[in-house]
Amino acid sequence: MKIVIVGAGEVGFHIASRLAFEKKDVVVIDKSPEALRRVSESLDVQAVYGCGSNPKILEQVGVKAADLLLAVTDSDETNLIACLFAGILSPATIKLARIRGEEYLLYEGALREAPYGIDVLINPEAEAVKTVVRLLQVPGAVDVGEFAEGRIKVIGVRLDKTCSVNGTKLVDLRKKTGQQKILVVAIKREDRLIIPSGDDELQEGDMIYFVSEEKELKAALKIFGKSAERFNRVLLVGGGNLGFKLAKALEGLSIHTKLIEKDPDRCRELAELLDKVIVLHGDGSEQGVLEEENVRDMDVVATLTGDEETNILTSLLAQRLGAQKTVTRISKFSYFPLVSAIGLDHIVSSRLAAINTILQHVRRGKVLSAMALKGEEAEVLEAVALETSDVVGKPLRNISFPKGALVVSIIRADEVIIPTGESVIQPEDRIIILSTRQAIPQVEKALTVKLEYF
Amino acid sequence: MRVRYTLHVVGVLLFFLGLTMVFPLLFGLYYHDDSVVPLLKSIAVTLGTGLVLYLLFKGTKTEIMSHREGMGVVAIGWTAAGALGALPYYWGGTFHTFADAFFESVSGFTTTGASVLTQIETVPRGLLFWRSLTHWLGGMGIIVLSLAILPLLGIGGMQLYKAEVPGPVPDKLKPRIKDTAVVLWKVYVLFSAAETVLLMLGGMDLFEALCHTFGTMATGGFSTRNASLGAYQSPYVDTVVILFMLFAGINFSLHYQFLKGDSLAFWRNSEFRFFIGIVAIFVLVITFNVYHWVYETFSQALRFGAFQVTSIITTTGYVTADYETWPPLSQSILLFCMFLGASAGSTGGGMKCLRIMLLLKHSYKQLFSLIHPRAVTQVKLGGRPVSDEVLHSIWGYFMLYLGLFILCSFLLAAMGVDVVTSFAAVAATIGNIGPGLGLVGPMDNYAHIPILGKWLLILCMLLGRLEIYTVLILFVPEFWRK
Repeated sequence: MKIVIVGAGEVGFHIASRLAFEKKDVVVIDKSPEALRRVSESLDVQAVYGCGSNPKILEQVGVKAADLLLAVTDSDETNLIACLFAGILSPATIKLARIRGEEYLLYEGALREAPYGIDVLINPEAEAVKTVVRLLQVPGAVDVGEFAEGRIKVIGVRLDKTCSVNGTKLVDLRKKTGQQKILVVAIKREDRLIIPSGDDELQEGDMIYFVSEEKELKAALKIFGKSAERFNRVLLVGGGNLGFKLAKALEGLSIHTKLIEKDPDRCRELAELLDKVIVLHGDGSEQGVLEEENVRDMDVVATLTGDEETNILTSLLAQRLGAQKTVTRISKFSYFPLVSAIGLDHIVSSRLAAINTILQHVRRGKVLSAMALKGEEAEVLEAVALETSDVVGKPLRNISFPKGALVVSIIRADEVIIPTGESVIQPEDRIIILSTRQAIPQVEKALTVKLEYF
Repeated sequence: MRVRYTLHVVGVLLFFLGLTMVFPLLFGLYYHDDSVVPLLKSIAVTLGTGLVLYLLFKGTKTEIMSHREGMGVVAIGWTAAGALGALPYYWGGTFHTFADAFFESVSGFTTTGASVLTQIETVPRGLLFWRSLTHWLGGMGIIVLSLAILPLLGIGGMQLYKAEVPGPVPDKLKPRIKDTAVVLWKVYVLFSAAETVLLMLGGMDLFEALCHTFGTMATGGFSTRNASLGAYQSPYVDTVVILFMLFAGINFSLHYQFLKGDSLAFWRNSEFRFFIGIVAIFVLVITFNVYHWVYETFSQALRFGAFQVTSIITTTGYVTADYETWPPLSQSILLFCMFLGASAGSTGGGMKCLRIMLLLKHSYKQLFSLIHPRAVTQVKLGGRPVSDEVLHSIWGYFMLYLGLFILCSFLLAAMGVDVVTSFAAVAATIGNIGPGLGLVGPMDNYAHIPILGKWLLILCMLLGRLEIYTVLILFVPEFWRK
């Protein structure tokens, strides 16, 4: 599979690194020699100097033979033009553009159709807002992924000291809790990812991922000692684009929201655009301001200014002042591991959101949605079981599925099956699979062709 | 640097090297000569060493190789390959001291072609084949070959590739390093097959044709005859070898592009034009210089002139004429060729045309800006700007190359070797050429150099082949710290 990536910034770099790890043929184009050096020195990909919107360069890197073109530079115009020319040179290539400008996105429908034919437009901020909203809807969760139109959720929670299932073996979990449709699919323990078997034990401090149906989510969360109470009071710090979009989304969910912004002009603008949200003028990183707005009664404080260091400190401050939960906007990837170490579990990054969305379009076979687990060692995929695929028509225990991959649910029409070794996948079922990074190429193959071929 | 992990990967390489020793064994068995037992012993020891290193240092599995470890693997791997590759000669009784065997082996792998053998034709054919095969393996690179074949090296492949094929400007033909390595080896094998067939048509048997092909395509220079290629006295053989030496001295990615159907690939490349231009000019100058002085007919002057120039500039080191009897101008041109070397991305050594070309351009730019102090200028290569950083690193390389050349020449002279010989011997080993001037001239060999001097030249050969930094880094204490 050949993939051309236009733009070697944070987004381009991380997608390239993920794909190169999966042994795909990746070509990265950028016009900054600095950025290219970083790519060619640390990744096994081809780095090409030039402007990605230049058709000559596109032809030179062999876009005609490419399966995918990912235009992910910081410039919307470059991305659009790269996709357009790729469309002229090679109509069969799937084209994806990262678009941040609202004005362009108004024409999303038209851009998708002929003569433009850009298959996917991704708005990083919209994706980030979606991530935060999902998180807010599942209190107690550190990570939330939705599958089958939200009917199935993959939830990541951290097990606290008080959690009643600490020390329980997974085989005993169902017996102990009386819950049938709960399945722990991954455990992250001290940076190590475990795809658990029945004999694995839950321990304090683990970050676990489980699959649950929407309607049983409350009960499931309770097992892991998380309250199922919905968030009601949210404080947003920073009224930039992301802050505004999130406020708008929360308004729609009728959650009580306050927004603090430093710039008085922007405040006025926001007040005009928002109806129910209370817009406050002030510096959100000041203790006085936070106390005045009663931060200790807030369910969630989200720090979304453009300055990530300020965000981190503000979130820590809010936690000290008694906020239940904080969401911190960070764009520098190298901060991620650090931030969870100092106790900020929830991170929002438009770049990370964009990467996750893009990856789901990179997957072969009929993959409907995908989610990367924290730390990116594993991914959860939702796919349609094609009739030609070898996973269909026999009990799961007889399928030689790659090591490190696990079928976590089967959806047949309205029914959701948490599978056992005896379950049989039927054609056109939707299946949700958890897979480690190493096993992903094999999973992809298993979903498209018969397993004998590898 | 994680020494254990580095040795683990070196183990893989050595095991692989052990497998390649089977080929000379086949020749040994076919000719029933005395090479069979020493080769069998060497195979056992090499495979064993590789396996022990591999198993002994088997650590946690998903390690990612750093740039440093890549260089470590290449430098240690090449040294170890040289040492283990010396075993067949040592056990075969060809040499009395291990230093001599080691010299011959390193000279093979680094495609230098400097020999300490005085009587080549009496050596068993199995060993001679191994001698030439080391050229062929080292020419395109042991690591590159391993990358193409072994999936094991996939993870750190990039770092290894960069350490073995340094070059001034990185060049990747395919998105993935493994595919790049495969492409390079395909081109290499294709040319080698073609040359073997052509040489056999010229009357050589398979053994000799293969050995000389290995020597040519790797720009090595080991022959199976005492008089090198001069022994064949055949204009046809000379022509074939001249052509293939030139092919081997050209960037292999150009061959690939040409074979893929880009007929202008060569001509568009400025380094190619520079290289071919220089060869043409030198051939003409030398031809006219030696015409009448040494050779009676023009065609002879052209034949020997062209052969010697291509042989030295591509750093092959085959000789068909004693150029020490040539006029001083011709000799000094050949000496200059030793430093110049072949193209970047070829199998040849030396400083590489690309570097010299960029340095000339940069120097001209300096001169230009004296005339037009306000001019904004940029050194370009094939229409693309070359960053100052790249130019600085090339100047650094240039100075290091000269510095090492001078230092090693002084050291050799301090051991009592005469001045011309010391300078020529160091130039010919650091440039991976083989024959030099004076006592290591085209009709002589390196047998008489003192033992300590041989060790020094072994180091020079490795420095030259791995483009200095990779080897030099081993001597920096900081490198070994964890």
